[in-house]
Amino acid sequence: MSSQAAGAADVARPGIVGARVQRREDPRLLTGRGAYVDDRKADGTVHVAFCRSDRAHARIARIDTAEARQAPGVLGVFTAGDIDAVARPIRATSNMPDYRATELEPLARTKVRYVGEPVVAVVAENRYLAEDAAGLVSVDYDPLPGVTDPESALEDRALLHDEAGTNIIAAREFARGDVDGAMADAAIIVEDRFRIRRKTPSAIENRTCLAEFEAGRQALTLHASTQVPGLLRDALAEIFDLPGRRLRVVAPDVGGGFGAKASLYPEEVVVCALTMRLGRPVKWTSDRMEDLTATTQAFDEIVRAKLALEPDGRIVALDADVIGDVGAYSIYPWTASLEPVQVVSFLPGPYRVQNYRGRVRAVATSKAPMGPYRGVGRPISTFVMERLVDMAARRLAMDPAELRARNLVRDDEFPYKSGSGIVWDRSGFQECLSSALDRFGYAQRRTEQAAARNEGRLVGIGIASYAELTGIGSRISAAPGMPINTGTERATIEIDSTGAVTAAFGIASHGQGLETTLAQIVAEELGVRVEDVEIIHGDSAAVPHSTGTYASRSTVLAGGAATLSARALRKQAIEAASYILEAADTDIEMRDGIISVAGTDSSITLRELARAFYSEMRRIPKEARESLELSASATYDPFFGTTTGATHVAEVEIDPQTFGVTVRNYVVAEDCGRIVNPMIVDGQVHGGVAQGIGAALYEEVIHDENGQILTGSFVDYVVPSAAEIPDMAVIHLETESPSTLGGYRGMGEGGTIGAPAAIANAVADALSACNAQINELPITPDRLFRLIRDVEPREGESKNET
Amino acid sequence: MKPPAFSYFAPETVEEATARLAEYGDDAKLIAGGQSLVPMMNFRLVSPAALIDIRKIAPPDAIEESGGHVRIGALTRHRALETSPLIAHRIPVLAAAMGHVAHLAIRNRGTIGGSLCHADPAAELPAIAVLLDARIHAARRGGVRTVDAGAFFEGALWTALEDDEIVTHIDFPLLPPGAGWGFHEFARRHGDFGLAGAAVTVSGSAGRASEVRIALLGVGETPVRAHAAEDLLTGSGFEPDEIAAAAAAVRDGLDPTDDLHASADYRRHLAGVLAERALADAWGRAANGAS
Repeated sequence: MSSQAAGAADVARPGIVGARVQRREDPRLLTGRGAYVDDRKADGTVHVAFCRSDRAHARIARIDTAEARQAPGVLGVFTAGDIDAVARPIRATSNMPDYRATELEPLARTKVRYVGEPVVAVVAENRYLAEDAAGLVSVDYDPLPGVTDPESALEDRALLHDEAGTNIIAAREFARGDVDGAMADAAIIVEDRFRIRRKTPSAIENRTCLAEFEAGRQALTLHASTQVPGLLRDALAEIFDLPGRRLRVVAPDVGGGFGAKASLYPEEVVVCALTMRLGRPVKWTSDRMEDLTATTQAFDEIVRAKLALEPDGRIVALDADVIGDVGAYSIYPWTASLEPVQVVSFLPGPYRVQNYRGRVRAVATSKAPMGPYRGVGRPISTFVMERLVDMAARRLAMDPAELRARNLVRDDEFPYKSGSGIVWDRSGFQECLSSALDRFGYAQRRTEQAAARNEGRLVGIGIASYAELTGIGSRISAAPGMPINTGTERATIEIDSTGAVTAAFGIASHGQGLETTLAQIVAEELGVRVEDVEIIHGDSAAVPHSTGTYASRSTVLAGGAATLSARALRKQAIEAASYILEAADTDIEMRDGIISVAGTDSSITLRELARAFYSEMRRIPKEARESLELSASATYDPFFGTTTGATHVAEVEIDPQTFGVTVRNYVVAEDCGRIVNPMIVDGQVHGGVAQGIGAALYEEVIHDENGQILTGSFVDYVVPSAAEIPDMAVIHLETESPSTLGGYRGMGEGGTIGAPAAIANAVADALSACNAQINELPITPDRLFRLIRDVEPREGESKNET
Repeated sequence: MKPPAFSYFAPETVEEATARLAEYGDDAKLIAGGQSLVPMMNFRLVSPAALIDIRKIAPPDAIEESGGHVRIGALTRHRALETSPLIAHRIPVLAAAMGHVAHLAIRNRGTIGGSLCHADPAAELPAIAVLLDARIHAARRGGVRTVDAGAFFEGALWTALEDDEIVTHIDFPLLPPGAGWGFHEFARRHGDFGLAGAAVTVSGSAGRASEVRIALLGVGETPVRAHAAEDLLTGSGFEPDEIAAAAAAVRDGLDPTDDLHASADYRRHLAGVLAERALADAWGRAANGAS
């Protein structure tokens, strides 16, 4: 790993921010001392097993629970009516035109719409007995016509949601310039139909929730493996009509989420309803089969796109039509439009595209609902655009790196408004490309590649450049037209009577190391040591409002709130100390938890200050003690957010006989702004690239033509392991963001955005002699076998099929 | 994914175990490593009334040479075969194949008796047993018998073993002195079941192959020998075109099925590729091979 500091940040601030601080959560998490939801053993806990639909689309004719109710250890068997009696229905609303909300039914009432949808909840003394009893429930279904294939579903011959009147539950079009005119005049057009198959995020910890109702206080507490405790609290408050003070959602240690734990789930509503009904804590721990069938899925799009260029390689127009297979329900709060709309929003990428038209339709099908997954839409848009750029380079006989350099937005063009209206603030698009190529040794490797090809080896090099919007503020909704605010975060920092510093946030770290990075920011801004700062997060009670951790927002938003509140607290601490040190505020500094008068040996520790402030009442005047607080809260709103750009370069080798693809070399150059902790940024990039490699080569949720899910275990849903992931070089360009407090940019998702495109381009490059079109992900050995068998090797180029 | 209730027994002798088996019949399952059985129970694909834990019956990892074979106790772990100097020396193709069995944690727990009795057609050990004509010894109440590996595997997850029988040990014939061997497998991920695999042994003299064995995994209901290809190569000089012709014969002799991970055509193709590679390796390793 190497780091190149392009901004002035590191030079001016050689402090705690930017240091390679070891993750403080790791000793706990790596030695089995973490506390996940399933570790919580509330007295008297009972356990839920769900009977889930084994039909993709059917009307519920009859549910017979009589035998299950009599089974040993069973406390109750519950159906839709039991939940509806206490829970208001919830809909993910949006003011987006052409959007149709679908009602969230925690247990299916009249119809089932995907295999895995919860229908009956069985509660028993333990999970074993609950599963035994669940096996005794019988549900009769009247079959309904299949709504499985997204392109057929567009025709509305059978409707998944009758009340919506169509399966197209969201649609949108972006347009700028004269696409048709530019296409007609362009020198070349490259086009294809691209398919990226459905993925599931596969967090290592399955979803788990435990609801406890305290009858004395009439208070409900939900412990959930979630990224969004505050968002759940607000949603559950509406569903159960409870004030927030009697409703708390806690996300303790959480074993990964990748977006899949950022939505409200039926199971969470059910355990809350049942704990109030039964008066016992109610727990549901998903098993892996449930996770693979009923957790939100993603990356399921069909994209027809064409790109027009001038002979010098200048992009003149881009036209795309996107069909997003969004599954059975529009999830709360993001809606079904989230991913497919992002595909068209981000399709022009970091390039100058004067004329752009992007049309998207989100079509409901009988599959698990689509939800956020690391990268949201941009892995698909980047795959499509970067394939088109490589196809164009080939047509123009131009080096793909050169074609990118000619079209990437240049430094003097920022801020740049993209074809879909996104504004890129200053970011090192060109520098990411050149740095990645330098580190990769691009020219040398092209020479080696030519030599390898002469030996009959299939070696390919692929480049992917992209840009994303991170840390978005209140001006832009995280999902189109969504009525909730995702643009602010709040922090409260307190110095207690022992001098300890506690900083409370609403974000919910679920693997990102935010306990460390936020402590670094607080320590630096406040003037204490990292180890002096305790970080509270993942608890709706910690702050009045928060949504949580998703969308590469927590460092920018919570980091901004930490900065503002730490600065406010520091000012007050120094003022309080000025009475003891008998010096002017301006002469007092605070560093490593010691407050001193500059240029003297007069100082006190934070502990002494706290004692003086809270306990030794004569040391600071009454008026000062009443007007000051050793506590400060602040809310940060980045308003627009900031750009993060990157270039990935991958080298693959394909076994020409088995069609196995090996990723041999991988370089990422990314601009994440000012870095809080280089080790954590590296780790985020490594993990993101690994998931992107999964999307490129391995992972695919497969349904049969009747909508039965065939990938119900990790034998069949193929997630890459460490052995399949190459060593990678990561270059951090610290182009400080001009638009965020502290200069931070979000970087949690980028690895997953760039990798599928880079790998796809590398595979296509390796196969360039045989004219095989790489337009579908994942690129499995079987797909490559059929692709190569089915194409006739031929010289030169032909117009690509549409 | 929790199993229903079952009775648990931990007999200390084969006699006790076979008595339990006789009592429960097909409603009992033997458990040793549990690497295949426990997931199947958790999925409720099998729900035995009784589990008979046989780990106390014999010490694990019994591997000894006797006569012309290596006798291996049924409770021997995959990892023990993989690391045994005796196996590496006398049956190196078996040691090599064991390195492809899943992951280290699974090889440390899974037993060879369990693998043979589970009879997954993509598993390595059954393929090597078929390759080498291993003999599988089974006991039941009041008797013992020996089954040839070729007759032991009757279908996917289906063997000639009766409900009340227990595998006690397996005899693997030693490779003839100077024999070459090859093992190639293609899996999507490190540690996965192979989409296909090929194991080969060959003896040669004066540049001619005298005995050729080819076994394939993952391409049918059971591991299979490729007799037509073996016949083509017997007496040949293992020239590249002869190996290629044998690989074609391997392909032609197979009738695999489609599944999620590989189409039948791709599996057949892979089997030919892997057989060709394993054959070339085996010939390269055989003494008296290349003249």
